[in-house]
Amino acid sequence: MPITEIIKNWVPNKSRVIDLGCGDGALLCDLKNTKNIIGYGVEIDPDQIEVCIENGVSVIEQDIDQGINDFKSFNFDVAIMASSIQCLKKPDKALSRMLNISDQCIVTLPNFGHWRCRLDVFFGRMPVTQSLPMSWYETDNSHLCTIKDFETLCSDRGFVLKKKKYLNKNYKESWLSSLKPNLFASEGVYLIAKD
Amino acid sequence: MKIATQKIEFKNRLDLECGQSLPGFELMVETYGELNEAKTNAILVCHAFSGNHHAAGEATEDKAAGWWDQIIGPDKAIDTNKYFVVSSNNIGGCSGSSGPTSVNPSSGEIYGADFPVVSVTDWVKSQKLLMEYFEIDCWELVVGGSLGGMQALQWAISYPDNVRKAGIFAAAAQASTQNIAMNEVARESIRKDENFHDGFYLKNGTKPKKGLKTARMLGHITYLSEEHMDLRFGRKFQDIDTRVANDVDFQIENYLQYKGEKFSDAFDANTYILMTKAMDNYDPAHIAEGKLENALKRVKSKLLIVGFNTDWLFPPKKGKDIQLAAMRCGIESSFVVLDGENGHDSFLFFTDRYFNLIRSFLES
Repeated sequence: MPITEIIKNWVPNKSRVIDLGCGDGALLCDLKNTKNIIGYGVEIDPDQIEVCIENGVSVIEQDIDQGINDFKSFNFDVAIMASSIQCLKKPDKALSRMLNISDQCIVTLPNFGHWRCRLDVFFGRMPVTQSLPMSWYETDNSHLCTIKDFETLCSDRGFVLKKKKYLNKNYKESWLSSLKPNLFASEGVYLIAKD
Repeated sequence: MKIATQKIEFKNRLDLECGQSLPGFELMVETYGELNEAKTNAILVCHAFSGNHHAAGEATEDKAAGWWDQIIGPDKAIDTNKYFVVSSNNIGGCSGSSGPTSVNPSSGEIYGADFPVVSVTDWVKSQKLLMEYFEIDCWELVVGGSLGGMQALQWAISYPDNVRKAGIFAAAAQASTQNIAMNEVARESIRKDENFHDGFYLKNGTKPKKGLKTARMLGHITYLSEEHMDLRFGRKFQDIDTRVANDVDFQIENYLQYKGEKFSDAFDANTYILMTKAMDNYDPAHIAEGKLENALKRVKSKLLIVGFNTDWLFPPKKGKDIQLAAMRCGIESSFVVLDGENGHDSFLFFTDRYFNLIRSFLES
């Protein structure tokens, strides 16, 4: 099941959703059509914003690092941050702010602990993989972490991982990725709530 | 592009927000392109403070280019091959619509300062009658910058079923204290002109040109950005041969003198006061317990809110306030910040991103 399908299953019908780092808005568009949500995207890339608007997706031009606080007291049902948290200046703060603006949040992140990454680092190179496709000098990723790191952060801060899925490089759950996620999952998908 | 200019008379009484009414009124209207048979391709363009109905069309010998000619026209962002664009001069204006320079039918004399105080909401109300005149049920888009953006917002509030999309550019849902302060200095300079005669200058066969000129010079400073002024004029000196006044040293002085002078020939001082008052007084939140989101509750239109990062008159933050209120109401709305280099006036000029944005919004 691709990531969007997992997210779609976790988002309640007719809920109010904010997608932080929404890209071209495809996910919100899909959620609007299939789940009847009221959705807003936050995006900084002008080209992506244009695509959002063309596709009828509501979008706010805003840096997520600074912007989440604008939505304080908005009480969204779900806040989504797909493959963006590792790009933020303060991922831990962003996570707790997300939980201030919505009841639950969905986070997806590339697992730096995946064996391919470990192998690359072992041979002295920064990994370039399917979920980490850019070279070190091009990537926006500044806070890469492993699945173990992320889950430790959540438990330290008291965030509850209500649901989690570990996906392999084909974005599918496999027995290997579920057995030893920190080694075999290339992507973690989480539904997180406060306490 | 098919351009039609006409003066349309509305015979019924128009009750205004201030409690007064107009026995009837006239609107000077310009339209571009053609209305389709189903009447579903109509766009209303609302002008800013000193604008008028002449929004599009290239410059000719006796006529300047329309104020939004970079945006409206064949194959432009608002494509007149596809849309029927309606632009009117607001009541209270001085370009042909009923205003302080018109004759008051009850006294037979020029209104002058007796022209009632009109508001953004009144303009929208008069534009609704214009919409009915054209037998249009729903605007595909109502759009404007600055004071025009306020009208676009008010359209979405006043007539939620008659606007599919609203474009609110370089605007605010409420003028800031600083905006009001600047406007008051401008109005004061007009009032203190010895030819103002409490607004009844036309009766006295004169015009408060000096005061109006100073007001416009101040206004111009607020429309440009510091950076743009630096780039365009810097500290460059004006050639002695081309300077408009003897005590002009710098190019910026010459520019303001020239612009102010030209404006004071063409514009009406009472209209200046009336338009700035309408801008200062606009505040949809005021009648909704101070909260904009209360005022927006009935809005059904999709909103596109655009701010320009060099605009210090209505900075992007003002647009964002509208966006946040719209989001609290679950309104489909987007907020974008563009890199216009012309300060507040940036909304007037073409850029690739602005073009694409308006196009995408229209076609979404």
